[in-house]
Amino acid sequence: MDGAKVARRLTVLALLFTGGAFAASLLVGRYPIDWAALADPASMDRRVFLTLRLPRACMGLAAGFGLGAAGSVYQTVLHNPLAAPDVIGVASGASVGAAAAILLGCGGALTALLAFGGGLLAVGAALAGAGLSRRRDILSIVLAGIAVNALAQAVLMLLKLAADPEKELAAIEFWTMGSLADMTPDKLAGALPWVAAGLAGLALLRRPVLLLGLPDDEARMLGVPVTGMRRAALALATLITGAVVSVTGLIAFVGLLAPHIAALLRRGGRAGLLLSGLTGAGLLLAADVLARSLAASEVPVSVVTSLLGAPFLFWLLCRKEAAHG
Amino acid sequence: MKLYRRLAAALLSAALLVSLAGCAAGGSSPAPGSSSAAPVSEPASQSAPASEAGAFPVTLTDAAGRTVTLETQPATLVSGYYITTSMCIALGCEDRLVGIEAKADTRPIYALAAPELLELPSVGTAKEFDLEGCAALDPDLVILPLKLKDTADALDQLGIPALVVNPESLPELEQTLTLLGQATGCTDRAAELVAYNQQTEYFLTQTLAGADKPVVYLAGNSSYLSTAGPAMYQDTLIQLGGGVNAAAEITDTYWADISYEQLLAWDPDVIVIVPGADYTKEDLLADPQLADLTAVQEGKVFAMPSAFESWDSPVPSAMIGSLWMANVLHPDLYDFDVLAVDAFDFYEKFYGVEIDISLLAA
Repeated sequence: MDGAKVARRLTVLALLFTGGAFAASLLVGRYPIDWAALADPASMDRRVFLTLRLPRACMGLAAGFGLGAAGSVYQTVLHNPLAAPDVIGVASGASVGAAAAILLGCGGALTALLAFGGGLLAVGAALAGAGLSRRRDILSIVLAGIAVNALAQAVLMLLKLAADPEKELAAIEFWTMGSLADMTPDKLAGALPWVAAGLAGLALLRRPVLLLGLPDDEARMLGVPVTGMRRAALALATLITGAVVSVTGLIAFVGLLAPHIAALLRRGGRAGLLLSGLTGAGLLLAADVLARSLAASEVPVSVVTSLLGAPFLFWLLCRKEAAHG
Repeated sequence: MKLYRRLAAALLSAALLVSLAGCAAGGSSPAPGSSSAAPVSEPASQSAPASEAGAFPVTLTDAAGRTVTLETQPATLVSGYYITTSMCIALGCEDRLVGIEAKADTRPIYALAAPELLELPSVGTAKEFDLEGCAALDPDLVILPLKLKDTADALDQLGIPALVVNPESLPELEQTLTLLGQATGCTDRAAELVAYNQQTEYFLTQTLAGADKPVVYLAGNSSYLSTAGPAMYQDTLIQLGGGVNAAAEITDTYWADISYEQLLAWDPDVIVIVPGADYTKEDLLADPQLADLTAVQEGKVFAMPSAFESWDSPVPSAMIGSLWMANVLHPDLYDFDVLAVDAFDFYEKFYGVEIDISLLAA
């Protein structure tokens, strides 16, 4: 079987899995929806479906796809299999924004806005720092990201220190665990345009971004404006990540795990945007279905994404070793 | 001249009355001596609508400034906060509850006064509120703490009325009781509870006026080296009981951790352990670092009863906590037998339960 055929077959499989997880996300929940009553515009069943179940499933889909696709971009353009939103500071920047909003007693919408702003600001600072450096290579971006990350962590610790342990500190901690439990149509509408814009941009730049995975001089020889293209790709990936985490809180490891799982499924080669995105969406939707049905109360989704994704990645890794050995 | 003096005396006593009323009505003054006449107007304006409400439809403004309209008296309630669940018992509408907050089994008063509450489905915690689970209970009204304001807005979108409350001080406790009374149609009971609060405050200020105020160290939940500063309700509890907070200089708005040295420097006359403490009085007494404290040497270490409610927070029975404190600090002015009768009567009247008064002992 040639590579393209494998990829196509895998994409279909991933589509099926994600579609199934999406359907499960619509079907599973605490409220016993009477599907016959859905047509009645006055019924509570319809309101629960439209204001809770559907936005939650859609956000799971969009967030998982966005995080997975953005993760693959980070890993490709930074030539670093460990690159994730944390590396260039978007996650900790967003956390600082959210923590500040929680301390100031802002509501949900303003918290989302500040988290979004914090994430973009952190990455902006990292890219600007790298731009100031005389070294025009990837390492300077990664190092600047680590520096911004450390700074943001320090600020976050200071904010936590100032927080009231019972309410604010708990809210900050909980924000960093991520959740889709309180998703509403407003929040979905707030995040979706940014995610869509970021994904559209990445889809347009698909080819040059893929070429950024090559060593810089090779990519340059193929006509890719390496520095500019790298910044554009990072900015778009950050836009997506920032928009997602601003309404869900930090969702751990989807951005890191999804591209690797996708690549291992392909047995070699890099996974593209679509496959990484679908893997991310399937992972997050499945995790969210479990998060709402595992215990009597909701479990933070990050706990489940990690519990689900990490062993799966491990299994794939062992399987690959066995196949090669 | 004589007329002048008489007039001055009359004015003085009027001013005294006003400030006393201020104490009785709004008197959770965070710092001692700051009880001005200002809070007088506050409870007056609160109790005014209480007398005319009790009828539906009613439009209320909650602690988040949200407007909530209830067309009919709610027949089913969900309470997502232990203080409001407790209030529902005190207001006599606990039989209308169809769902309550998580960890209900940690509240002894539920088992005592309304054991059926322990069987109700949980709607989650303030961290992860179960929106769908709450909607599945089909409540007519949901009562939530202020930190769940966003959840209340989401419930609004579902067409489920939600009321947000924030009882953090004595005036706020009374406001919350009045608000819940109006929302549930239990206005008379709410007015009785508020009146009981105000009368008890007045009684305590009268009874303990002029008495020496011992320095009280309140030992917190997680460790006896954590305590509450003047910004917290616990400070009001100490003041109402006729004491002075040892931790008056602390500026934290939540439980603050202190050092052994700090506690030795304060050397309080009395140490009181809060009801929910994770350690026992014996643990504290056995700590060699604290053996030289005056309170330890004179046997003035007391544990608040844990069999009832968190009397160190603004629960509906907060006043019983203040009376308990008054008995511990001033047994000569407020006898244990009187406390036993007062506490027994309160729980019998408002919670419909006959408490075991031997559990009141420190």
